[in-house]
Amino acid sequence: MMLTKVLVANRGEIAVRIIRACQEMGINTVAVYSEVDKEAPHVQIADETINLGDPTPIASYLNIPKIIESAQKIGADAIHPGYGFLAENPDFAQSCEDVGIKFIGPNPKVISLMGDKIAAKKTMKNAGVPVIPGYSGEKQDISSLVKEGKKIGFPLLVKAAAGGGGKGMRIAHSEDILEESIESAKRESKSAFGNDTVFLEKYLEKPRHIEFQILGDEYGNVIHLFERECSIQRRHQKIIEESPSPVMDVKLRKKMGEAAIKAAEAVGYTNAGTVEFMVDGDLNFYFMEMNTRLQVEHPVTELTTGIDLAKWQLKIADGKELSIKQNQIMQRGHAIECRIYAEDPANGFLPSVGTLQKVEPPRGPNIRDDSGIYTGMKITPYYDPMLSKLIVNAENRDECINKIIWALSRYVILGVKTNISFLIKVLDHMEFRKGNITTHFIDNYFKDWISSKKGLPIEAIIALSVYDSIHSRTEEVVRYKESDPHSPWKHVGRWRMGVEI
Amino acid sequence: MFINYEHENHVYNVTVERREKYFFITYDNTEYRVEAEEIKPGHLKIKLGDRILKSVITEGEKEKYVFVEGDVFYVKNVELTGTKKTKKEGEGSLNSPISGKVVKVEVKVGDKVSKGDVLMVIEAMKMEYLIRAPDNGKITKINFNENDQIEIGQTTVEMKKS
Repeated sequence: MMLTKVLVANRGEIAVRIIRACQEMGINTVAVYSEVDKEAPHVQIADETINLGDPTPIASYLNIPKIIESAQKIGADAIHPGYGFLAENPDFAQSCEDVGIKFIGPNPKVISLMGDKIAAKKTMKNAGVPVIPGYSGEKQDISSLVKEGKKIGFPLLVKAAAGGGGKGMRIAHSEDILEESIESAKRESKSAFGNDTVFLEKYLEKPRHIEFQILGDEYGNVIHLFERECSIQRRHQKIIEESPSPVMDVKLRKKMGEAAIKAAEAVGYTNAGTVEFMVDGDLNFYFMEMNTRLQVEHPVTELTTGIDLAKWQLKIADGKELSIKQNQIMQRGHAIECRIYAEDPANGFLPSVGTLQKVEPPRGPNIRDDSGIYTGMKITPYYDPMLSKLIVNAENRDECINKIIWALSRYVILGVKTNISFLIKVLDHMEFRKGNITTHFIDNYFKDWISSKKGLPIEAIIALSVYDSIHSRTEEVVRYKESDPHSPWKHVGRWRMGVEI
Repeated sequence: MFINYEHENHVYNVTVERREKYFFITYDNTEYRVEAEEIKPGHLKIKLGDRILKSVITEGEKEKYVFVEGDVFYVKNVELTGTKKTKKEGEGSLNSPISGKVVKVEVKVGDKVSKGDVLMVIEAMKMEYLIRAPDNGKITKINFNENDQIEIGQTTVEMKKS
């Protein structure tokens, strides 16, 4: 088969990224959009466009029948789902398959299996991929749970099966408090969720989130493109990602890479995917989950390997064989990505909506800005508040940190509040620079962070006064009124005596 | 020219005079002499002593956005007592435009007032703000006494339109 026309079922920067990859390969593109996105960049650059109407996601970007119907009507032979929205929805992938449209991603069965977190772990455990030791069985009486808990070891995490937001969660550091922890987690879970089923899991100290990028073709070839360190997260949302991981060494990388390939092969994975691991303070690693899509943070892998993941997604979907072999892939230099969100760090990181009065991304060698915004665009509350991703690469981690701080501090976004100043503070933190990062980093060092800048600095006052002076439409106020019509001061215009104070 | 900038409930009182590309800016009893130009719309290059400041400024509906050295500030130009320029937004409101101290209450409950009468005087950052009657009417309630602290947005007095 030959892909000729791809519909991109997404919006924002990722839709732009995919449309550009298609265009480079000579594939026609179709953008879909909701009412509020009709002037969005992905709509502007696509060859054809389809209006999905109502901006509510469920009526537009999540509307499976409408998107499938649009794709058929316009003659698209494939659909790229991007990330988020329908990217990991097995029903959507199946619906595409049913009408003979190629879904750019793995097959629906794999999406479905990996979407079930417990089934995914079981599959991986059977395939010999390390998973976090735990108990998620039927026996829920206290004595059985205590027995299972002792088998797993300490510290031990007790968590509600129906849990969320830390409710029904306990950490038992030793055997003495295990029974008590299980009982209280059950009580809390019962009252919060009406269900007192709990799971047990080894609690990881100093946990890191490290993931491996996978590419698999439709002929059974699977390669990995090394790791991405994604430990810097705010409320489970990644904000800074990098490659390589500062904790990685050759041996560990080889072991984890092999495990990632084993995980992909165990389920017959095709197309681009990511195997997420948790790594503890002693560098033990455990399979967490598999993301069956192109990730937000894929550019750091592209910049350190030189491989274009979006294009490979298209080639694989088009039935091409992976022409790159594992031993040909090199990791070079260092790359960091920062996610720029429309949120107000001074106000509890609440999403900030409004019109972008000015957008000017930084430019320079090895600076990449994946964005879906422009001056004059309205940021609405309908969708994810991510405005852009800034990615830079440099020879080593130190230079890379300096470079991205430089670039962030020149990224002009006026009109909505952004997290840029917060990102700079995190990157500039001594422990971040040392590479001492865990998934608790933000909680440990920035829990109650508010912008330390108090008031208007003199630099801003000077800039404002210069601006207002240049743009003043009224005549300069005469500072010293002269009654004498022949006074020399009348004729010197704005000249005055300069007094140094 | 005299300019008052409001940022996070504080008012910054500045004077600026321009002579071609030189600007003389006085703030907080200090004069800064800078050389500056607008290199493209909204982009300023400012020479302050040995330093080069780059700043980007745009105007929104109500406020100015100032980008300077990686930080963004939202600032409003405000009019103060004694200036009689164009009508500013918020004029006619009985809410305090600023956080400060009530220095004078000019009316008492039951007083009949005419549109434009001064009802209360609030001082902040050594500037006086006048709360004026937005309409003709009668004062029904006074929420603050002299020397009280008042916060931005709080209602100064209440009145019934006649």
